[in-house]
Amino acid sequence: MPEFLRLARVTAAGLAGRLGFNYDEVEDLRLAIDELCFGLTGPTGRLGTVELRYGLSDEGLVVEGKGHFDDDLAPAVLSQLSTVILDALVDEHHLGTGPLGPEFRLVKRHQDGSARAGG
Amino acid sequence: MRETFAEYARTGDIALRDQLVMAHMGLAAYLARRFANRGQPLDDLIQVASLGLLKAVERFDPSLGIEFSTYATTTIVGELKRHLRDKGWAVRAPRRMQELYLTLSQVVDTLGQELGRSPNIAELAAEVQASEEDVLEALEAGQAYRFASLDAPRSDTDTPEPLGDRLGQEDVDLARAEERATLLPLLEQLPTRQRQVVQLRFFEGLTQSEIARRLGISQMQVSRLLTRSVAQLRSFAKQPKQPKKS
Repeated sequence: MPEFLRLARVTAAGLAGRLGFNYDEVEDLRLAIDELCFGLTGPTGRLGTVELRYGLSDEGLVVEGKGHFDDDLAPAVLSQLSTVILDALVDEHHLGTGPLGPEFRLVKRHQDGSARAGG
Repeated sequence: MRETFAEYARTGDIALRDQLVMAHMGLAAYLARRFANRGQPLDDLIQVASLGLLKAVERFDPSLGIEFSTYATTTIVGELKRHLRDKGWAVRAPRRMQELYLTLSQVVDTLGQELGRSPNIAELAAEVQASEEDVLEALEAGQAYRFASLDAPRSDTDTPEPLGDRLGQEDVDLARAEERATLLPLLEQLPTRQRQVVQLRFFEGLTQSEIARRLGISQMQVSRLLTRSVAQLRSFAKQPKQPKKS
């Protein structure tokens, strides 16, 4: 998981760089990706796969994650600590349980509120 | 001094060696300071430079006709570079990435000051003359860089004032925040300095660059402290409460 998390962070940072995000914002994204991926897998980790989709839109960078796990644990819920952390790092975040398992979505906009890329 | 070197080369007298080392300690300290502000305490760098100086004194051959300071500088700088490359990394990263990260750790702050805002990745890449991909990879690799001790004297000045003394007192207003009150048992398990960085970022909403300015540390240090703190908080959350560390 840690090595795949690294890839997830680098991908997000690369896209954020393309969007013109500054160093502060890129660092925020890296922490947020970590936090939400841990939210999917839980503190002890789970067997299965995590699917991540990155989107560049008018609202900024959108990252969506879905967990496909072998086990069937309790619904994914953000801890209060995670909520506080994510509130400070990204503009929107959600972690919940979808029809196929736990999933999350985050949106990170430029600090000046502008969107510099579309599509 | 040249005669002393010649006599030491002839006799190998330890007292003469120590005398020569002491006579050039200023050079070692000067070179150590040139490598300061790269995440390593100045005391450590001076120690490494002193070791380089000792090697230089032992190996110097006065009959070659070159100045000792020229010879010693090469040896000492070599020791310092090796130290920064090898000793500062908790997980081995490619040397090219280590060097780029060390360069970036200075450029993020200096460029941020010049621009009056946090630089973007393209600006950092242009400044260090690397690709954006290399910059991102170096920043990721930088998370493996060891943390400079906040109890050590600041590495970018000669003052003995520990970094921790510059961090100010706990903001009493924060104690009123509902989330903080609930999360206090977790936060209390962090070392004091990490707790303060966490409070400033997650409870007061300061950016990393603002925290760096307020605390007088580099933005890279703030980044590493936050990453480590979040990982520790996660681990505390799933464990019974540990004794307070700081």
